[in-house]
Parts: sequence; structure tokens; C-alpha cells
Amino acid sequence: MNLLQIRKPSTTFALPFKHRAIGKEKVLISNTEGSFLLLSHEEFRLFAEGTVPRGSEYWKRLAERNFIRGEENRDAMASQLRARKGFLSYGPNLHIVVVTLRCNETCVYCHASRANMDQVQTDMTKEIAEQTVDKILQTTNPHVTLEFQGGEPLVAFEVVKHIIDYALKQNEKAQKQLEFTMVSNLSLMDEEKVAYLVGKKVQICTSIDGPEHIHDKQRRLPQASAHQKATHWIKRINEEYARIGLDPTLYHVEALLTTTREALPQWKEIVDTYVSLGCKALFLRPVDPFGFADKTGHRIEYPRAEYMTFYRDAVDYMLELNKQGVQILERFAAIFLTKILGGEDPNFLDIRSPCGAGIGQIAYNYDGKIFTCDEGRMLHEMGDSTFLIGEVGETSYRELMGHETVRALAIASNLDAQPDCVNCTYQAYCGVCPVHNHKSQGTIFGRMRESTLCAVHKGIQDYLFEKLGSGDPAVVDIFKKWTTVRDRTHFLQSCAV
Amino acid sequence: MPLESLPSDLVSFDDQDGAVHLKVDDGLYPLEAVYAAAYVFIDRCYVLLDKPASGQTRVTLSAKKGTLAGDAARELVGEFSNELLSCAWRSQIARENRATIEAVTAQALSGARGAPSLEELEAFDFSDDAFEDPLGIAMSWEEKYAKKKGDPKATAPTPNDEAATSSVTKPEAGK
Repeated sequence: MNLLQIRKPSTTFALPFKHRAIGKEKVLISNTEGSFLLLSHEEFRLFAEGTVPRGSEYWKRLAERNFIRGEENRDAMASQLRARKGFLSYGPNLHIVVVTLRCNETCVYCHASRANMDQVQTDMTKEIAEQTVDKILQTTNPHVTLEFQGGEPLVAFEVVKHIIDYALKQNEKAQKQLEFTMVSNLSLMDEEKVAYLVGKKVQICTSIDGPEHIHDKQRRLPQASAHQKATHWIKRINEEYARIGLDPTLYHVEALLTTTREALPQWKEIVDTYVSLGCKALFLRPVDPFGFADKTGHRIEYPRAEYMTFYRDAVDYMLELNKQGVQILERFAAIFLTKILGGEDPNFLDIRSPCGAGIGQIAYNYDGKIFTCDEGRMLHEMGDSTFLIGEVGETSYRELMGHETVRALAIASNLDAQPDCVNCTYQAYCGVCPVHNHKSQGTIFGRMRESTLCAVHKGIQDYLFEKLGSGDPAVVDIFKKWTTVRDRTHFLQSCAV
Repeated sequence: MPLESLPSDLVSFDDQDGAVHLKVDDGLYPLEAVYAAAYVFIDRCYVLLDKPASGQTRVTLSAKKGTLAGDAARELVGEFSNELLSCAWRSQIARENRATIEAVTAQALSGARGAPSLEELEAFDFSDDAFEDPLGIAMSWEEKYAKKKGDPKATAPTPNDEAATSSVTKPEAGK
């Protein structure tokens, strides 16, 4: 079904809309503020020809969602747009601090370009750590997430502790809703560090690349199993959360997957691994072209069509598990569904318009250099400093936010300025990454029809709308549950333990 | 020599020089799009633009090191053509959606920057010398035509004086 099959298209009946075939039986229509309807081919014909019977149930469905000219509720449209773009009113809330480049694991795809353990000059000094915290607390955003990354942050644990102590002290004046998170491979964890991190309410996130044989092949830890180390500490930290009375369905170690070629046929084993570890979410992230992955791409990369088959198989299986009472959600799906069904933007910085580069997140390197985002910092470690916007001791906060690179990225990632996106049915829910475009296509604007990122975003949304249009009420219920955001208030520093 | 599956009247490959030539119709692609697409390729190859005929721009892409083989030339010119189309369309979209793009960008940047602090306000330059004014556009009528010391010829003209009403286009007036 396409517009060419419409005999007499009406130019006056419908408000501006975009459409896309979903499977063989449905047509999706969506509008600027993100309302959507899944129509049968006959319903779409009536809509496009402007012959929907006035007052019919179908007419009401279209009118309620502002698809009929003359029936629009402008206040509702404005309110929906405000809800979707609420993030525009505030500055960066995610602040990624690379406390060291050193790492004790060697990953085939390492996006961070880790340094060897003897490269102590890549540890952040206390002076730079304090300047970094001072800069972070100047953001206009009342919510601040300070994320420790590396390298491996546990290698420079004293720096982490100093930043936490200093940030808590400085925040007595700044009064931000402060949260700490740490992305760690957990292999250097010990009981003392667990006690400190849980005591300081630091959220912990790790990488699990699936079952042990895949994980250990991709993430090499000298003379030990990286998988066994990580899974041991996931269970131990979760026990500690339970011991202090936190709800285990809400408070647990989060884990992320980096999908390599070898992982593609193992979708079931990957999901089972996450479920067995007590994880409630699985983020099926494709590999990015940053860091070591740029060099090892010939071994670990794959066509995105193959990734989409993997994704569909994995999420189909997760839906079946959910029907059996197992709680496990896919993170990409949850992000898109929150926008599609919830009408709100969860402020996932890589999938919003404009993207979060600079205005939503900032990355601080161990040496005090500041980047628009973590991906920009990754490129810097590869020798491309396009996304360097300042240094902690020299550049003022307002200079960072007004930096020409930040301005350029805000324009380049605005989907209203992007060919293809501007006509895409998924525009209200989607986002582009100018740094990915720059790396893969040599231009921050990118060409979406040739972008692997676009292929993934479109492919996932196609899958979700197919499921929504399948008429299975259980799937719709599960999807709605996936959009439910339960705040983990325990991790807010202003809240009592 | 022609390149496989590309129109030979638009694309040609010089295997001696290792350069590929693409003719662009000015009526189809605005010059700003040609510049934008050409700029994207300057880290990958040398890019030369010229006008061999009226209404036509020629783009020459040549390897920075070594020579460009046939397959690589085809890939390069194909990618350039896609980028050119993307730039042309983006240019049109940017014009059509200018108001939305500006509103979103302004909101995003002002929301992120916030209000200036007192220290930053103090550092602002509020003086009258903030910009150069060679034509005297920002000067008051009295300042511009006041009698200068030691210059008996300089007289303040009346409001009906032609020199006074066209001072911007005639900067010499009053000398």
C-alpha cells in the first residue's frame, strides 16, 4: 500500500502526517507531536482520500490524535510537544569522568582505547578531579549524574573516592539532585570497595557479553575468567542491596552487552545468561566504530540486517519469558516505547533531537580535557580531537555551552534539518549521533540511508510497531510495563539511606 | 575512460592521473551544496572545482597518495554523488524549516548556558567601541558633522542638506 494506490488523495482532509508500511497488513501514520495510529489498508485509503464518515468511531480516533484538519486541539498538540522537548530547558545532566585510561582487561572492541596498567600518567590527579567536579556542578540542570568510567575506574579507586567526597561537600552549596554511577568490569572489586560503593549509594553497571565462553573470548583477563569475576560480584553486590532492605526488582547491578559477530547466533544463551544473573534489563547494543573496534572490525562487525535478525529473535524470546512471569526488558525497546506509548522523552542522550552532545552530556578526560560526549572523547584517543571543547581549569561553563562545536552538533542532530529524517514516520521518537556520522561518513550531518545507526533505529521501531499491530494484548501489556519508569530514589544523594 | 554503471557523459576516470571527474548541473545542485559535499572529501582526496562550461561545475577527485584504481574511483565518485544529493536536499530543508530549527537550537543552547553570572556580566564589554564603524553609521548627526578644530571648511549641514541625508552612501560628505 502506498500513496500511488490512492485514487483521489485529498489535500484538505488530513493535517500533516507521515506514513510507513508496517508488515503486509498495516500502515502507520504519525504526526509532528508523535501521535500515531496503525491503520488497515482500507482505513488508510479512507484517510488519504478524505472519505472517513464524519462522527464514526474511526473519525473520532483520528480526531483525538490530531490527524483531521479543522478538528485539531492545539493546546493538546502544544502540550505534547512540550513534553517531548522538555529536555531543551536544561543543560547537561550526564557527566562522564574518565578517572584513568588504565585497564586490566583487554577487550577486542575496546571503545575507550584503554592503556596498559603501567601507564600511571593516565590517572586523573586530585587537582583535575576537583576542577572537574567544580565544572560539573555549574550545569543549569538540577539533576546531575556523575558517571565514573575508564579505562577501569577501580584501577584509580582513590581518585573515585576523592571525587565522591569532594562532590558531596561542594554539593552542599550547589544543591543538585546528585547521583553517582560507575561502569566497571568488576574484576578488581573487593569487599572493602563494595562496602564503600554501596555505602555511598553509587550505582554499579558492568559489561556482560553473554555466556562465559563468548565473554572471556572478547574480554581477556590475564590468568582468570573475566566472566566469573563479573558474575561473582554482580551476585555479591545484589546480596548487599537486599541486606540493607532495598527492593531487588529495582535495585540491582545493571549490565550491558556489546554485540559482536560471534554473539549473533547466541541470542538465546545471552538472554538466559542475563536472566540467571538477576538482571531485569538487557541492552542489545551493536558494536560502535570507535577505539579498538575500528581496527578489529573485520573480525567483529556484521551487516545490520543480521543484527536485526538477532534483535528480533532475542526480543521475541524475552517477550515469551515475560509471558511466563520473568521480568526482563530490552533497553532499546524501552527507550523507544516510552516515547511511542508514553508520549514522553526519557532523555536517552543518543536518541533524541537534538542529541545530547554538550547540551545533555559532557565527558571529562583524565587530563582535564572536556569533550561534547563520550564518543567524542573516544575519537580523541584515536587521534581526532574534533569534539574537544575545553579544559577544566581554563574554559568557563558558559564557554563550553556556547562552543561552536556544541552549536554545530545541536544543529546537525536536529531531525527537522536532516534529509530522510524530516520525512520519516519515526521522527518524533528518534535521534542521530553526529559523532558516529563523523567517524563513519566524514560529516557530522551524515547520510541516514547509508548509516548503520539509522538502520538499527528504523529496524527496531519497525519491529516494535509490528508487535503493536499484531493484536496480541499480552505483548501490548508487556510493552506498557517496559515504559514504566520507577525512580530509584535510594541513589539520590539527598535522600536518607 | 567511463566507470561501470555510471553515466559516461557525467563521470569519467583518468587512469593516467588517477583522478575521477564529475560534471554537476548547476540547475540541479546549488553551489552551496557542491561546496558542502566537496568539503566532506578533503581529508580523503584532493578536490578541485572548476567551470568547464556555463551552467556546469566540474569536480575532480584525486588520491592524496599513490594512484586511484578503477574500483576505488567508482566508490569515491558514488559516495560523492550521494553526499552531493544529501547536501542539496539539506540546504532546501534548512531553508524551509529555518524557523523550527532556530527555535529549537536557541532553546537548547539558552537552556544549557543559563544566565550569565555577575562575574561574567562584569567582564562584558558594554563600551561604545565594541565594533568598528568606518562609515560612521552609529555616530550621531551632531558628532559626525560637528565643526572640527582647525578645519574651517567643516560645517554642520542643515537637515535639508543632501550630504546629510546620504552620509551612509557618501562617506566623504562633510570633509
